[in-house]
Amino acid sequence: MAKDMEQLYAERLKRYVTAMRNEKPDMIPIRPFVAEFTAKYAGYTCQEVTEDYNNAFVAARKCAADFDWDAAVSNMVYVWTGLTQAIGLKYYGVPGIDVPPDTGFQYLEPPEEAAFMKPNEYDQLIEDPTGFLFNVWLPRVSTDVTEAGRPTSYRSNLSFLKGGMAMLNYFNAFGTQNELLRRESGTVSAISGILKAPFDILADKLRGYLGLIPDLFERPDKVLAACEALMPHLLHVALSGADPEKNVPIGFWMHRGCVPFISQKHFDTLYWPTLKPVIEEIWAHGHQVLFYAEGSWDAHLKSFAELPDASIVYHVDRGNILDVHKAIGHKFCISGGIPNYLLAAGTPDEVRDCCKKVIDTAAGDGGYIMDASAIIQNDAKTENIKAMTEFTREYGQY
Amino acid sequence: MPQKSKTDKKPGVCIPWEEKRKEIPKISGDENLIRKIWQGNDALAYTYIWHCLLSF
Repeated sequence: MAKDMEQLYAERLKRYVTAMRNEKPDMIPIRPFVAEFTAKYAGYTCQEVTEDYNNAFVAARKCAADFDWDAAVSNMVYVWTGLTQAIGLKYYGVPGIDVPPDTGFQYLEPPEEAAFMKPNEYDQLIEDPTGFLFNVWLPRVSTDVTEAGRPTSYRSNLSFLKGGMAMLNYFNAFGTQNELLRRESGTVSAISGILKAPFDILADKLRGYLGLIPDLFERPDKVLAACEALMPHLLHVALSGADPEKNVPIGFWMHRGCVPFISQKHFDTLYWPTLKPVIEEIWAHGHQVLFYAEGSWDAHLKSFAELPDASIVYHVDRGNILDVHKAIGHKFCISGGIPNYLLAAGTPDEVRDCCKKVIDTAAGDGGYIMDASAIIQNDAKTENIKAMTEFTREYGQY
Repeated sequence: MPQKSKTDKKPGVCIPWEEKRKEIPKISGDENLIRKIWQGNDALAYTYIWHCLLSF
């Protein structure tokens, strides 16, 4: 049995990697990014998988064992609110506390005037990003961490101790989880490591989107310099979590750096020049990056096409998969394209029809991975996930 | 590709070994060993803060 699982794992890894290199595998790989769906399927609430990562791991493994998927994320729910509460992070809506127990966790962005970084603090960030995060940012995003220069407190000390030990526990647990996925169901862990664009980090966690937009007009040089100061750190973090075997890609989560959140001019002058060199450097180290293009990034396909062949896998959410395939399908593997609303509100027949259209559009020459458009939450119907999986297996043979 | 910020704190570093080394008047044993362990633990603190920012 163990040998069969190992053989299955090897076949799936080969299929997945072949497609990601934009080549033609034996069949279309299936790699759904299932998050809170795993909880629903395994009989947990969102609170149970978010508050206790062991439940999330069990749920992910149950799905991997029951569905014929080539690769899955070890825990796509990802945020362990036990850890965020140990640190005292303010920007989460926690299931069972801030939102109902069976609603997925939420990110909360403060109003512009309460942004975690003030408009006059760019120079501090640029001068020493790591110091800024410890001394200025963390005390603002944590209920417990004391501001630098003020007397420390019991709660502040505990935040670092509990947060540090909990993070270590959590990260170490992924090694065991990946091994269990391999042994129990022959499933490949789909991604390794994390990347975000410098611009998105400024918008998500520092200035806030509402704070950053006026900065683009009032202090664009500072925004650019801040992005440049973040680049080597984001590269370092991405490489430090990358797959040492160089099989699976680094996950790159794309948020609000596209038209219409920003103008084409700001994409061309700020977002892309401070991201492209990071991707090129990661590729020079032999790692692919999975562009998880949340929303629609169709306005920027020409820029993405500047990247070296096979350096990225491009995931389609709300973009037009035909346009994406035409613009970059000759260079990069494409994944996704099955709308989440269809998985939630459609019928299995409608899901099968959609899968056929997407496969006919994007998968003819290989270089395609089946997945939903966005992360699959607990609104998806089990019969629709089964339909997506089974149809792809039947129709997706090369 | 900018290699580092204006400070001498490179990616992966919170308190550079060179800064810590100045606090130790004399090392009679293996300085490389002390440096290596210092840098390894220091990198954990770096991992902590950057993953707070990026992952959580």
